[in-house]
Amino acid sequence: MASLCSVAPARPLGKADRSHRLAAIRLDNVTRSFPSPAGDGEKLMVLDGLTFEVGDGEVVAIVGPNGSGKSTLLRLIGGLLAPDSGSIEVGGVAVSEADPRVGLVFQEPRLLPWRTTGANIAFPLELAGVERTERDRRSSSLLDLVGLTEFARAYPRELSGGMRQRAAIARALAHDPSVLLLDEPFSALDALTRERFNAELLDVWQRTGTTIVLVTHSIPEAVFVADRVLVLSARPSHIVAEVAVPLPRPRNSETLDSPLYSGTASLIRAHLGGTREEHAADEARAAPVRDVLDRVGTRAWFDPFGPRG
Amino acid sequence: MRLIRRWLPIAVSAVAFLVVWKLVVVVSGLAVYILPPPEAVLERLARAIAQGTIAPHAMATLSEIAWGFLVGAGSALAIGYLLARSTLAEKLLSPYLVAAQATPILALAPLLALWFGTGLLSKVVICALIVFFPVAVATMIGIRSVDARLLELGRSLRATRWQVFRHLELPAALPSILGGMRVGVTLAVIGAIVGEWAGADRGLGILILLAQGSLFDIPLLFATLVTIAAIGVGLYLAVLVVERQLIGKWR
Amino acid sequence: MRQIVALVVAGVVGVALLAGCQFGVSSSPSAAPAKLTVGLGFMPHIQFAQFYRALQQGYYRDGGLDVSLQYGNDAQLVPQIGQGAVDIGLSDGTSVIPAVSSGIPVRYGATIYARFPSVVIARAESGIATAADLRGKRVGIPGRYGSSWIMLQALLASAGMSPIDVDIRLYPDFSQAGALREGQVDAATGFANNEPVQLALAGIKTNVMAVDDITPLPGPGLTVGEATAASRREAIRAFVDETLRAMREIIDNPELGVEDAAKEVPALATDRPTQLAILQATVAMWQSPYTDTHGIGAIDHDAWTRSIDFMQTLPDLDIKADLSADQLLTEDLLQ
Repeated sequence: MASLCSVAPARPLGKADRSHRLAAIRLDNVTRSFPSPAGDGEKLMVLDGLTFEVGDGEVVAIVGPNGSGKSTLLRLIGGLLAPDSGSIEVGGVAVSEADPRVGLVFQEPRLLPWRTTGANIAFPLELAGVERTERDRRSSSLLDLVGLTEFARAYPRELSGGMRQRAAIARALAHDPSVLLLDEPFSALDALTRERFNAELLDVWQRTGTTIVLVTHSIPEAVFVADRVLVLSARPSHIVAEVAVPLPRPRNSETLDSPLYSGTASLIRAHLGGTREEHAADEARAAPVRDVLDRVGTRAWFDPFGPRG
Repeated sequence: MRLIRRWLPIAVSAVAFLVVWKLVVVVSGLAVYILPPPEAVLERLARAIAQGTIAPHAMATLSEIAWGFLVGAGSALAIGYLLARSTLAEKLLSPYLVAAQATPILALAPLLALWFGTGLLSKVVICALIVFFPVAVATMIGIRSVDARLLELGRSLRATRWQVFRHLELPAALPSILGGMRVGVTLAVIGAIVGEWAGADRGLGILILLAQGSLFDIPLLFATLVTIAAIGVGLYLAVLVVERQLIGKWR
Repeated sequence: MRQIVALVVAGVVGVALLAGCQFGVSSSPSAAPAKLTVGLGFMPHIQFAQFYRALQQGYYRDGGLDVSLQYGNDAQLVPQIGQGAVDIGLSDGTSVIPAVSSGIPVRYGATIYARFPSVVIARAESGIATAADLRGKRVGIPGRYGSSWIMLQALLASAGMSPIDVDIRLYPDFSQAGALREGQVDAATGFANNEPVQLALAGIKTNVMAVDDITPLPGPGLTVGEATAASRREAIRAFVDETLRAMREIIDNPELGVEDAAKEVPALATDRPTQLAILQATVAMWQSPYTDTHGIGAIDHDAWTRSIDFMQTLPDLDIKADLSADQLLTEDLLQ
């Protein structure tokens, strides 16, 4: 039995408790570079001295141009990558590796095709050594939370894209994390479904009170969901602006009509700004998007000639 | 009705095969001891089963196949995994693997009989050798084909090495591995027969030699071949069933 | 259907005649030499000296024959003879019985080995000299098949035993004589003109147990397909005649056999003393009390009948109960 259960705070799925507004996440002067994709040994600096805080129970959205390192930033907070310099803390404790206090939702659902939906959601608990009955109980309540109860025994291939992503969110909540990181989770969905999922995400947030950091390309989404929006510059990224979203909660479809909504969106757009040429230059400099088709075919084994062969 | 539709093509082709065989015999006028007609073979097979001629030999060959497959596939899974995850191991080992596969087992079999005796062991070794390569390559390809994004998910959930293997790599590799096993199991039949030819007391390979060289009973020879083919097909179907059980639901 | 086959055969014969190739259907010696394929169920060996002599001395040529020797193994030889792929072959007598019982149409036409060549050998010092001595002992054999297996069962049967009563050890690579020398087995099967000779040359004395006086099993002889015996009668008879002639000459002077073998097959030119020893042992088996009275190559009907009776007692072989020697033998090839 792993000791991970003791690390996760015993927080029942109940009302949000924001009485202790400690900084849930704190970044201090974080930098990170990668080897240049051109393979010339040069280092590509992606994040340059990022400093910001996220309060306990806050919803923060991060927007920025392509290649600005939004995903890298999320992985740093999640403990999948280590910063070159600077510090990252979650709940006052430095991040050194993946942590059950932090739940991750990726751009693709990444469900295991060979497990039922219920088993997928219970997967983190199974890895942590949680017993069967407790696992099943958690899985049931999570399925209920995201509205997938009838699909508990269905396999991922039987679910739509949106349902799979819901399951992924439920899975990220398995350990009842204090922080939930989402990396463009709805970008594969159509606009209408996306609006609905934004509302559902807020619903989940209402009920669990988890701190949320959402990386997104969509300014409307950022404004609708977040308390604050961080705008990143192009690579090497620093924070261009922190825009507070003055919209009241709870937010619903009427919020979308509010002038505050469009005003905030315009402000963020302005910060992202720059001319078309700058944007084009950003696109050119951006790392190539990893498409599913890139992975077609496996490298031949026993290939003395090497991949360039 | 669905059942009939599924099995009809197979039944039709089986009948067609028998008809063509009979036609060839009749047109060519070949004697029974050169090419027996299908009814002679089937009659001889029925008689051999009834008299208990085939059963002890078939049992011996089946046990060689079973043990050989177990040893060969088991070690292939382990080595295949090693080759998949360690570039160094792959660079060191793969030339020898390819060379070993290219060497005809028929040439190695007498040597192996010399080293391991003419009992069960040498047959198990030969079967294991012949099963090893396809399963090892299939394992390696399967393990390598695991989506890197799933592996990142595993890392984010702090999965141990064993957990990564058990929950991510193995299930992802199963389709490929089972495909390799389908090939391996039919090769194991060949391995057992070849192993018996290199020296054995019993087995369907020995029955072939006896039917041909001692008894001059060619219908029995063909009946033995039919039995061997049936065993091969049966084993193949068995792997298919296992495959459906393990990966049928989620594929 | 039969008409189609007949047409095809006629067409082939016609084409052959038109092409002028020698099809060997001659009935007069003045025609072109008849091509004859002779199957020897083994590899080139000094024991085939009579064929080498007949070739070297031109006996076959004088008889109007163009003989080509084909080497191989005995199991494939008999069906080939039956089918006519080989015109005549030197095959085990003990193979002919199950072959004919299974319906392969061959006939044994001339005895080459009047004594059964397969024997059981033991080291002289072990004291194993008769079948009864083998009880419980380790016996090395190549496998549970072939003439040696039949011989072993006949030998053991004479002492009221069967293979269960001895400790059989398998040597599929035919190294059972080496095992005997090393002491891994107490006795081994082999051929009277091979292993005992080799061992004697290595200074090891052996006891040889043969079945001739127990069950007169038929040794290798010239076997021909029924169809070939009818369609190529003269050529076959000529072949048998010349072969027996060569045999008689070698019996009188084995050196002649060694010389002609060396010329015909260069590989047999080495180690003459060994070759001579083997040939002398071979020649001893071409002769028996029966051939002394009836001539070289004569076929002993009674012996064959007793052999059939014995092989019918062997459960695995499934020899037909009504099989008789007349169905297996032909006297027609001997002059």
